[in-house]
Amino acid sequence: MGTISSAFGIMSQALDADQQALNVVANNVANANTPGYTEEKPNWQENSPLEIGSLQVGQGVTETGTTSVRDRVLESRLDQQQQMAASSGSRLTSLDTLQALFTPDSGSSSSQAGDIGGDITSFFDSFSSLEANPTNNALRQNVLSTAGTLSSDVSSAAASLDSQRLALNQEASGVTSQVNALTGAIAQLNQQIQSISPNADAGILEDNRQQDLSQLSQLIGINQITTENNGLAITTTSGALLVSGSSSYQMTTGTVNGVTDFFVGTTDITKSLATGGGSLGGYLTARDTDIPTVLAALDQLAYNISTTVNTQNDAGMNLDGVTGTALAPLYIFNQPSAVEGSAANMSVTMTDPNQIAAAGAANGTGDNSNAVALANLAGQTIVSGQTPTDYYSNFVTTLGATVSSVQTENKAQAASVTQLQTQNNSLSGVNLNDEASSMTTFERSYQAASQVFAMLNTIMGSALNLGEQTTVT
Amino acid sequence: MRVDPFYVTNLVGSLDQAQLNAQQLTAELSSGVSINSLSQNPVGAGENVQLLSQIQQDDSFTQSSSLVTGQLQVADSALSSVVTELNTAISLATSANNGTMNGSNVRSVGSQISGILDEVTSLANTSYQGQYIFGGGQTLTSPFNTSTATTPAVTSYTGDQGVNYLESPSGQKIQLNVPGSQIFLGSGSNSVFGALNNLIADYSSGTVNTAQATSDTAALNSALNWVSQQRVTIDNSMTQLSAASGAVTNVKLQLTTAQTDLMQADIPTVSTQLSLAETQQTALEDVIAQLNSTSNTLFSKLPG
Repeated sequence: MGTISSAFGIMSQALDADQQALNVVANNVANANTPGYTEEKPNWQENSPLEIGSLQVGQGVTETGTTSVRDRVLESRLDQQQQMAASSGSRLTSLDTLQALFTPDSGSSSSQAGDIGGDITSFFDSFSSLEANPTNNALRQNVLSTAGTLSSDVSSAAASLDSQRLALNQEASGVTSQVNALTGAIAQLNQQIQSISPNADAGILEDNRQQDLSQLSQLIGINQITTENNGLAITTTSGALLVSGSSSYQMTTGTVNGVTDFFVGTTDITKSLATGGGSLGGYLTARDTDIPTVLAALDQLAYNISTTVNTQNDAGMNLDGVTGTALAPLYIFNQPSAVEGSAANMSVTMTDPNQIAAAGAANGTGDNSNAVALANLAGQTIVSGQTPTDYYSNFVTTLGATVSSVQTENKAQAASVTQLQTQNNSLSGVNLNDEASSMTTFERSYQAASQVFAMLNTIMGSALNLGEQTTVT
Repeated sequence: MRVDPFYVTNLVGSLDQAQLNAQQLTAELSSGVSINSLSQNPVGAGENVQLLSQIQQDDSFTQSSSLVTGQLQVADSALSSVVTELNTAISLATSANNGTMNGSNVRSVGSQISGILDEVTSLANTSYQGQYIFGGGQTLTSPFNTSTATTPAVTSYTGDQGVNYLESPSGQKIQLNVPGSQIFLGSGSNSVFGALNNLIADYSSGTVNTAQATSDTAALNSALNWVSQQRVTIDNSMTQLSAASGAVTNVKLQLTTAQTDLMQADIPTVSTQLSLAETQQTALEDVIAQLNSTSNTLFSKLPG
């Protein structure tokens, strides 16, 4: 049978429990804006009843700690989506810088500087003008000056591409130390979690680990595998082990063919990192795919224009009546030996405008047949089966379409991240309204327990006095 | 149901988007250009390259054609003067051949025709912007020289048979010159210089061999006709050039319209969009300000 003093015991436990619950609320409110914090709920447990004979007597409540409101599947989906969004985001940033080199020409006279498409046409047009008066020095000079503009615009675009590639290379290398710091921290947290809370959610430690994972997901593409005792193994998307239990494996860098490659142990994982995700994936895709593609297209353009124009000029006769020879060819451009590097090395080597071969080889110096032939190159399929202008136009469209598709991709992924983030926030975030209502509930329950306590006290007084109301109050 | 307690963060994201949108629209308005980067309209950017290239080519052809029109006009007017000179020579020769002139008058006709030869030689050596226009492909040296070592004197041609063409953007070839030898040293009785030199020799002694002189005069007459025929080639070129240049100007006008349509920002539409973007931005700012005010959680309703 229950006694008055056992009721006192139940009430004091209830007061303790309510106080602890109020502590949990206070902690939630305090961490409402802490990144990575997961809302905690107090755990209530009914005490085992006392069995007296056939009677069961309730023994009150105990607060047994807290549970973090967490959905691991949701969190890992969010991480994955973040990896993809970070990858397309950093790739897009690089592509935006890249496409700024080829801003469309509006067509007004002030906008033509630096436009390679306009340069190509101006260059071939200078030969058309030379048709009108093939011996005219000003017109010949114009050929060399438009050739100079074309080659300097092409070579400076190539130089910009190269320096963008180097900048990306540096950004990519910088990611390594951040990744290593994070994997090290995760390994340490693994160890703590495994020793403190091998079978249940580890609360704040788990929050910290999740926060590190989320940061790591911004950087590289990873797979998460839950192991025994609440541990976590992390590999790159291609399977290279980064964290296993309490050990982490360093990612290292080394220079291969002039750029930084990434290693775990002795395995080169650069290629798989590029497609894996995270901002590193984006940097590497831009560095190893996007920029080389653009550069190769420019190289092709520079190579074909330089060699065909050189060959055609060499086939004619200059103003001094001289035709080109093997030893002294009549070359306008620096003659490239291979396609690769042609854009960067494109330059005008001819300095004397009289060397331009406007005349056909067997004709008089006033002849313009070779100038006609040179001008006609503009309409011939001399660059990868296309005319120079068509080739450049296609190049511009392809580049624009690539940037545009990455933009769309990034937008969709960012939207998906936002959606998952919202889901995760609505589950795990601290909602101040909820906290206010919990606090009121616990406060009321604390008040009730104190009230019961006071009542029991009165009852106890009555029992002690046995009817003498004034002796004990 | 639970809600995202950080929904204001999402609203700030939307506000950023709205601001970016307004920024792009402002850039379009201030530059007047609708395609400011390749990714905005990749196909349009490619098309723009093609259109600008064609416009530039047309521009260049228009300039070249005004340059060569000058040259053709000079050639034409030189030939017209030659025709006048030759007519004078023919009438002088005809009067000398009718047998009524005394020796000194005949010699005077001879020296007048000699003057005409000099005049025609200098016309045949006409240059335009440093190019001898009747020298064929040899445009840097004067093509005609008369040697008086023999009688009759001989006018020789140091040019060649080269013919230059100007190609229009559509590929039409327009002839720019006729080699001097073809005009002035035609075969048989079509040689201007041959006929003039013969006549000068005929009249140099003062006694006229009427049969010879009449035959030489007839040759000069036939040479005159020959020159007029050659002049037609030049005139045809001028007509072709003016037609081609007119056509190119029309094409250029259409291309420019197309290019402007492609690249020019549609100001009324952009302005409307900008105004909408601004309204959206203001509304979002108001919403965020409202939601951020402290009276929006249950805590503010609690007593105490």
